[in-house]
Amino acid sequence: MRALVVDDSMTIRRIVIKALGIVGISDATEAGDGVEAIAALEGGTEFDVILLDWNMPKMNGIDTLKAVRRSGNKTPVIMVTTEAEKSRVIEAIKAGANDYLIKPFSPDQLAAKVRTVVPAAAAG
Amino acid sequence: MDVKYINPFIEAVDSVFTTMLSVEPKRAQIRVGATQPAGQLLTSLVGISGQVSGVVALRFPPTTALKLAGRLLGSEPTEVNEEVIDAISELANMVAGNAKAKFNHDPPLQLGMPTVVEGTGYRLKYPSGSIWLEVPFTSEAGDFSMEVTYNPE
Repeated sequence: MRALVVDDSMTIRRIVIKALGIVGISDATEAGDGVEAIAALEGGTEFDVILLDWNMPKMNGIDTLKAVRRSGNKTPVIMVTTEAEKSRVIEAIKAGANDYLIKPFSPDQLAAKVRTVVPAAAAG
Repeated sequence: MDVKYINPFIEAVDSVFTTMLSVEPKRAQIRVGATQPAGQLLTSLVGISGQVSGVVALRFPPTTALKLAGRLLGSEPTEVNEEVIDAISELANMVAGNAKAKFNHDPPLQLGMPTVVEGTGYRLKYPSGSIWLEVPFTSEAGDFSMEVTYNPE
């Protein structure tokens, strides 16, 4: 299984990728902003899940999510963000996010979210 | 800055450090006014804007920054490098984000991109005569402090 991890912080990307190991996802592509994420998706690689930050330079997470859905891509998306207000969560779900994880998070919390949107992910 | 506004920021530090770092920070007495520490410091700043404005700053001696980065990244860097800067940037980002959510403004407040300042003996300033509150913390990863200025009007 393959994940696209989109966050401008290399620290968070590393933490997310490590946590994905809990659910048996060892193949991850990293993107530092929405532009890189769109490029990775347009490159033809199929992903099982996208972990998407909100606040990023160049193209933020919500605009990235909208662009992904407009393109017809139905890959499950989990927003992983410090944006914790209820209105943000609703905005993301309306835009097509499958789930929402607020930073700070534990590896187990991330793993549980991935299992929710990717049933095939290892039960751990 | 009214002292009552500091609590969401302190709670945010607790939440971020315990969840992401397995570090339980213990806070000391809140002080009014930004201090001018003598030693080398790394300061990670995030601006808050919207219906209110402010800045959250986490200030780390390099030894603390290295230990915290090590806990986040899985191995402790031996020098202050790009990884350490990124790690402490993200800590400030998470503290600011966690705190701003507790104020629950609609539309939500916005966060700037984190900025890290490295140097010795510098004091933080913010326009319009803002008052800083400083919260010193001790932890098993070392001492650090948070300085916040938050203008609700």
